Amino acid sequence: MEPKEVFDELKMILVTRLKFDPRRAVDLTLETTLPKGIESSIGLDSLDFIELSIAIEERFGIAMDESADLAPHFTSFDTLSRFIASRTAGA
Amino acid sequence: MSGRRVAITGAGVVDGGHASGVLSRLLDETEARRLSHVCQMTVAAGRMALADAGLAGGTELALLIGTEFGDMVSTIRFVDDYLQRGIPGLSALRFPHTVMNTMAATAAIAVSAKDLSLTLNVPTVAGELAIARGAAAVRAGRIAACLAGGADEPPRLVLDTFREAGAGADVRGEGAGFVVLEPLDAARARGARILGEIVAEAWRALAVRPHGVGRATRSRAIAAALAGAGAEPAEIGLVYTSANGDGPREAWERALLDEALAPYRPPQRSLSLPAGRHSGLAARSVATAATEAGDGLALVHAVARGGNQVAIVVAGSRDRAA
Amino acid sequence: MKPVAVTGLGVVSPFGAGVKAYWEGISGGVCAIRPITLIDTEGFRCRIGAEVPDSLGGSARRSRADRFALAAAREAIDDAGIGRAERGDTALIVGAVGGGMLEAEAWYWQRARGGAAPLPRALASCFPSSHVDVVGSVLGIGGPRETVVTACSSGAASLAMAADLVRDGVVPVALAGGVDALTRICFMGFNTLKLLDPAPCRPFDRDRRGMSIGEGAAFVVLEEVGHARARDARVYAELTGYGMSTDAFHVTSPHPEGEGMIRAMRAALAQAGITAASVGYANAHGTATPQNDRIEARALREVFGDGGLLVSSTKSMIGHTMAAAGTLEAVATVLALGHEVVPPTARLENTDPDIPFDCVPRVAREVAVEHAISNSFGFGGQNVTLVFRRVA
Repeated sequence: MEPKEVFDELKMILVTRLKFDPRRAVDLTLETTLPKGIESSIGLDSLDFIELSIAIEERFGIAMDESADLAPHFTSFDTLSRFIASRTAGA
Repeated sequence: MSGRRVAITGAGVVDGGHASGVLSRLLDETEARRLSHVCQMTVAAGRMALADAGLAGGTELALLIGTEFGDMVSTIRFVDDYLQRGIPGLSALRFPHTVMNTMAATAAIAVSAKDLSLTLNVPTVAGELAIARGAAAVRAGRIAACLAGGADEPPRLVLDTFREAGAGADVRGEGAGFVVLEPLDAARARGARILGEIVAEAWRALAVRPHGVGRATRSRAIAAALAGAGAEPAEIGLVYTSANGDGPREAWERALLDEALAPYRPPQRSLSLPAGRHSGLAARSVATAATEAGDGLALVHAVARGGNQVAIVVAGSRDRAA
Repeated sequence: MKPVAVTGLGVVSPFGAGVKAYWEGISGGVCAIRPITLIDTEGFRCRIGAEVPDSLGGSARRSRADRFALAAAREAIDDAGIGRAERGDTALIVGAVGGGMLEAEAWYWQRARGGAAPLPRALASCFPSSHVDVVGSVLGIGGPRETVVTACSSGAASLAMAADLVRDGVVPVALAGGVDALTRICFMGFNTLKLLDPAPCRPFDRDRRGMSIGEGAAFVVLEEVGHARARDARVYAELTGYGMSTDAFHVTSPHPEGEGMIRAMRAALAQAGITAASVGYANAHGTATPQNDRIEARALREVFGDGGLLVSSTKSMIGHTMAAAGTLEAVATVLALGHEVVPPTARLENTDPDIPFDCVPRVAREVAVEHAISNSFGFGGQNVTLVFRRVA
């Protein structure tokens, strides 16, 4: 799967599972950041990240390694889309 | 009652047809996205009551929420997600809502209430009990101020089950409501508008089987509240009751009031929406009772199947002799 | 503030019914965490917990949690020797979360899967408030009855609220405690949050990986000191203070600096009128999640310094019993004072270097302690600290 396709799926997850307003999802770009407290982020906290991880595992059929530090991959839609694309390519 | 005098300095209730407008005005993006409906109503009602009182949050603000159903609506959704989609359907965001203190947890964050926060679960009298507990804590000097009231969103499945199990025919609506309580001297010192006072409060259990209505009409809660207020039955000019469509329970409540206030029979009112009563309405009862008590006293009373009973004596804002 | 006497204890734990079995288990450092049998755990990452052995008796028409509550409450009030006449003026405060949900779930699962599902009696008692009505009516408790839900600190909050009623002179005696039976919702939810260790939990260990869930009930009788003396009651210890605070930070994570925990502990010490240095033992919340134990240790250090405070976690043996935890651990603290034995942290091999305390690894410690605290923290940042004093 290409990062662009992954990004579209992530936007869908944001609306269906994290309950973002669909109008909000339209404005998102690859550069939009995720964690709460970072400039121009969509404000996700620890609980949102667990929910997002579950949804990613379910949608993309990949398993997140809990012992690894995944935080760098969850910085922006760009880093996350690339991470997921690389994992699905390897599968 | 000994201890500090307890002032009512604000009230806020969210329910009925106005709820959606209030919610969109009072909640931020994350709250609108993440919080369940009952938590949203609770947060909005808390903000309204604090704004009404002109009070800010902080380490001196406590929170007491009475609830009959908690966030059972989210709990059922959490389970349905699993039953329909298996383990991957389970939502991390929904799980915290399955614990009944979720309204207190989310409201405490929203208004920065950092002193104790207690969720009290009981049928029918939940809001009155939380207000009575809050008033007692202010009176004893244990807390400096509190939001006290209740919140509920009754799930249809549970109401149907209660009816089938013979647990009463109360008509229940949804909503949330709080009063702000603080020591009268502190409220005066900060120049707050005083809506009235809670002069005394008491809560007891009558001897009844679970879900049952009792025959005994001697009411220790009302007697203790009147004694605490140093008031005679003749001084009670108005009673707000918990009448709500459950005939046997209402008859019992009338009998309890008639015996406790005999030979007087002050007018009785019950605040209930067309859609039913909810735990947040206790805040409206207390605030309205304070407005309407005039020079006298009003009694806010509630009794539940199973025997829990709460009595709150309320006075208007006119200074009473200490 | 005036102390309140602890004159009765009652327990239903993963070690079985009774205070004696509980004390033998926790002072012996026995871990009661095993594969879960009560509910289907297939496919979940963690499949273990600390179940109460099924030998309790009581009417099967009552929910499992109501049976736990009744057995523990009856033991406590009989232990204190509070007769029928006095119970009319006794308060009952119960900390609860799951209520009769285990039975309600069984009904709902069956219904959702298209099976014939007759309406169980238990469904009408699925809410936490069921316990006070059942215990109150069976034991004839006529004072105020309240059910408090502060998530995992509910059992500790019940003692604080009962102490208020005794100190305010509302009642001379109060029966207070916490109860929870395992539920599918709790099991599935903590699995979803990835807070459960697939192996038995290891509080304070550098290799800890999460908590284990458990179930049980505990009750204590709290009594006005003069009232207890007048009837020549046995006094186990005194509850000398409590502190309750709210983080108002996050629904599932504690404040990273333990700010709310620190306020609860300091408020409790102030109410008890003692200094931090006079406290010899802390029965920690100690869930064994990486985050809780690190932050709790940080908060303990802020309040008590690096000194000689002994810290242990009862959850290492009975798991996290949810609403029952605060009371079960309060009972552990009271018994530690009376027996002059501090129960250990089971399975602790290598104490996390971030936790600068003697966490009493594996083996109980014989030591006379004058003042001890019990910490309980719940989802929503609901913090409760109780302070107990040994009686001569």
